[in-house]
Amino acid sequence: MRWEKTLMHIRLASILVMLCGLVGGARAADKVTIALNWVPEPEFGGIYQAQLDGTFAKNGLDVEIKPGGAGAPTWQRVASGQVEYAVASADEVVIARANGADVVAIFTIYQTCPQAIMTHASRGYKSLADVFNGGGTLALEIGLPYGKFLEKKYGLSKVKRIPYTGGIANFLADANFSQQCFVFSEPLAAKKSGGDPQTFLVADSGYNPYTGVIITRSEIAKAKPDQVSAMVKSLGDGWRAYQSDAKRANDAMGKLNKSMDAETFAAAAEAQKPLIQPPGPENLVLGTMTSERWHDLVGQLVDLGIIDKSKAPAPNECFIGTGGK
Amino acid sequence: MPRARSNRWSWLGAVLPPVFVFVVLTLAAEVWLRVRDVKPFIVPTPSRVFSAVREAPGDLLASTCKTAAAALIGFGASALAGVAVAIGLSSTRLIRNAFYPYTVFFQTVPVVAIAPMLVIWFEAGLQSVAICAFIVSVFPVIANTLAGLLSTDPALRDLFKLYGAGPLSRLWKLRLPWALPNIITGLRIAAGLSVIGAIVGEFVATELSGNAGLGVVIATSARYGRTDRVFAAILAASLLGLLMLCAVNLVGYLSLRRWHASEQ
Repeated sequence: MRWEKTLMHIRLASILVMLCGLVGGARAADKVTIALNWVPEPEFGGIYQAQLDGTFAKNGLDVEIKPGGAGAPTWQRVASGQVEYAVASADEVVIARANGADVVAIFTIYQTCPQAIMTHASRGYKSLADVFNGGGTLALEIGLPYGKFLEKKYGLSKVKRIPYTGGIANFLADANFSQQCFVFSEPLAAKKSGGDPQTFLVADSGYNPYTGVIITRSEIAKAKPDQVSAMVKSLGDGWRAYQSDAKRANDAMGKLNKSMDAETFAAAAEAQKPLIQPPGPENLVLGTMTSERWHDLVGQLVDLGIIDKSKAPAPNECFIGTGGK
Repeated sequence: MPRARSNRWSWLGAVLPPVFVFVVLTLAAEVWLRVRDVKPFIVPTPSRVFSAVREAPGDLLASTCKTAAAALIGFGASALAGVAVAIGLSSTRLIRNAFYPYTVFFQTVPVVAIAPMLVIWFEAGLQSVAICAFIVSVFPVIANTLAGLLSTDPALRDLFKLYGAGPLSRLWKLRLPWALPNIITGLRIAAGLSVIGAIVGEFVATELSGNAGLGVVIATSARYGRTDRVFAAILAASLLGLLMLCAVNLVGYLSLRRWHASEQ
């Protein structure tokens, strides 16, 4: 009878589940937390993708993703032991190490820093230098290392600098207003609201820290190298999957962040692709970082006076591994 | 003369207890943080904070002056507008019932939310920061002054009426002096709040050129992991608030000492 067949299926299924349990039970999954430094948006797509696809679980990790918001940087939470992993930026890693916090980067989401200056197309600017020499107002978050870099490179005598506090209201209200942005985020919103955004990547000015780096404590990397490799591998797989099809993770993140609509999620995921894809030779895999770029970054932060030369960390102690192969 | 001596040394009784508390608490924090080996990027030891002050005392002073300017303008505006509004509200019951609820707006408005709009309306700079200081500090002046103006002794009010005093001279010679202790209390609260308002204003509505105000120092240092500088700036802000409070107390003392029990 039909129901007998169903019953048999259920029995078979439960035996399979038990077998899986036995195999999986050989090694209990490591329970870890990743703290994000912003609300769920496409910049974390690969992390949610790894969770949804069971990639973390497959690699022996039981991961809790904790969304963040505006406020305290995440590196202190990693350094103080509140969480094992977090998303930060490379300059934060260098600053943290210079202040005696033992955090290291293990994976980078972006090869090209997505921070940019958004200005109005009507101004007819051709480069970042034009933005700084063209007058008007420029809003940058207080204390941003790249803000200091741009200030030093282009000078700020011709533009009025004010603190950036989020949103695009001032941008839309004032035709002479320029502001910081994530190149695939605020400009999309501005266009949607009828603005005429034009963007210039900060990276093109010569300041290009790895952004969206996953950090942990060196102590964890030393004591549990397998856990860290499993994390790096999962992130690599998660991001590869997200790069090829973002829909599933976008839907999941959209439920957690209702202020961004599905259309914007899809557009941002598409727009960020080239910033994530490593440039150059085929052997450079997703998430990989090089010693040269860390070296440049440490030098820049010392030059800007953001960290003391005497406390500057060695580039090689700022990161480990070669990305998610 | 024993009485003269007790007067000469009486200031010690006012200064020593708070200094003693400060020294004990600072030492306790220093010892506890060292024993527990708390990392400086979580909480800095007091000695680190003091050395951050010594590192660049001139810069810290310049920052404090910049914040002080905005706080003082906001505080001054609160004092004038607060008392004026309270006089208006105290004139008739109808006006009071109609407008008083709206003054509560100033107490409940989240200044962080309104500050970005101040930038659109008034441009970033000293004026917007001072407006932030004003918004958060005006309500206590209104509320306290109004309470004072409404509590005039009925017997004295009748006496003034009996002598045919007009409304202006009643206000100037009776009701305002009667309300003075309340006004001073309102100003005491407003003094500290105006410093907070100025610092929050600087997070959002300042112009980032020239000297940085304390709010900018706090935000920048936090980003660079320099909690010692954050606390040095907080210390400077506290001292600024204390200084303003002392000034209000002095005004209160000078104006009340001859006739009011609170200052005798």
